[in-house]
Amino acid sequence: MSKETREHLSALVDGEISPDTSRFLVKRLGSDPELRATWTRYHLVRDCLRHQDGAMAGDDLCARISKAIENEQPERHRRFISPRWLKPASGLAIAASVALMAITVVGPGRLGTTLPNGEVAEGSGVQQFTSPQSLTPAPASNQVSLSGGLYNNDAKMNAYLLRHYQASGATGRKGFVPYIPMVTIGTKLSDEAEQAKRKADPETSEEEDSGSR
Amino acid sequence: MIARAATLLMVAALVFPVTHLGAGDHDTPRQMLERMTAAMSQMSYQGTFVYVQGNVVETMRITHVSDEAGIREHLVAVSGPPREVIRDSNGVRWVLADDESVFEDAGFNRTFFPELPIDQHDQTESSYQMKRGGAARIAGHQARNLKILPKDEFRYGYSLWLEEQSGLLMKWELIDGKNNVLAKLMFTDVRLGSEVDKSELKPASQLKKFKTVASGLPSGRSSGKSVPRWQPDQLPPGFELAMHRSLQKQDDGIYEHMVYSDGLAAVSVYIESGEVTDDMPVEVRKIGTTHALTRSAGDMLITVVGDVPAVTVQMIGDGIEISSP
Repeated sequence: MSKETREHLSALVDGEISPDTSRFLVKRLGSDPELRATWTRYHLVRDCLRHQDGAMAGDDLCARISKAIENEQPERHRRFISPRWLKPASGLAIAASVALMAITVVGPGRLGTTLPNGEVAEGSGVQQFTSPQSLTPAPASNQVSLSGGLYNNDAKMNAYLLRHYQASGATGRKGFVPYIPMVTIGTKLSDEAEQAKRKADPETSEEEDSGSR
Repeated sequence: MIARAATLLMVAALVFPVTHLGAGDHDTPRQMLERMTAAMSQMSYQGTFVYVQGNVVETMRITHVSDEAGIREHLVAVSGPPREVIRDSNGVRWVLADDESVFEDAGFNRTFFPELPIDQHDQTESSYQMKRGGAARIAGHQARNLKILPKDEFRYGYSLWLEEQSGLLMKWELIDGKNNVLAKLMFTDVRLGSEVDKSELKPASQLKKFKTVASGLPSGRSSGKSVPRWQPDQLPPGFELAMHRSLQKQDDGIYEHMVYSDGLAAVSVYIESGEVTDDMPVEVRKIGTTHALTRSAGDMLITVVGDVPAVTVQMIGDGIEISSP
């Protein structure tokens, strides 16, 4: 195993790796037992350094992660807009870590065919639920705004999300799970924003890359 | 007579001692779910878990303590920018250490777990297909799988692995109707009960040096009608009103918060006055696994938020007609 691979693996454990390298490495983890063993060892070392009496992450973790990523379907019709509503009204830059937050805007009229990740259960193997009451289809919505910043108070959505997670933790009996997005939101959305930017304007991205070298 | 009954009870207790049954061979899916609910709230536990969603692989640390001082919880990312969520009797605080800011919301009237008005087990079973799965060893603990599959496209499903003895969640997967995994978490180490180090409840950051930003949403007891002023004229099957708060804003404006739930998934509907200056179009956004719809009705802002597919927030959001309060 090369030194570079080890460095990438270490960066992956610490969550400090580019999305492209991460995707490549995780795929390789699924087929390379030596790499997988090193990954597990790095987790153990990290946990021990943090005095967590680190138990082994388990050999199947990487395989499961890899499978989850492979199962992902390409996301279509995604548009990314500036998340101005994630900034607090007071002007404090609380949302600095989410400044690159990317948001999917789904056209209401296209629901059922364009949702990312195959979220609409068409052709699902699960038996279809029959409602005791007849439901009319969701009415068509107005046009979809791509501008963002719809609120005169940009902290509003943050507040709504935080309060919703309190409610959903209580009603859904899921404990801390609803709060995880509050912790991951910066990393995830920054990554998505970066990818979206590259897809939207590859030439500019390449220029920026070369300029930064 | 009473003495005889007491004697019989004592004899029965000696002959048939109450034994602790794990979430093993005998629990039904519903019982497994109940045990998980109780364990997640009432147990003390601490552990490290890996969370995967899309391209993100994040390692986090959870410390949850339930003791004579109440319930306190601390969730923190152990890699990347330091971000934390702290929950206790004062509400919830979201710490962004890289920005030296704390976003806080008193939320539900300074109670950690609000009382829920309805038993939603029947809803859960009519909206999801639940079945027991196999056993697995996770983070050194024996765990039992519980699959909760959605019966329609209005909700996500879950694949849960629960610790055999306590019912504590060890592994969680969010799945869609086609069995695609949308997000997952798995513990890599867990401590239970007295093994929990309570010192980890303290924030990793020096909060005294941080700026505090209040959510700005009204809090406290509901001051209005017990029945919401407005409700969606149609709901996805299985969803019912689970909670309602009507609060008065500082400018005497309207703040309504309704939570609709099918027993597992929850969708919040917020209706606020004075938040819109111009007519705005409908917009549906995706934030992680959460979907949010926003639209206006006069000067009212309608926001629908939930860990549900976009079609669900769309149906609920489109079904709200605002008339004069």
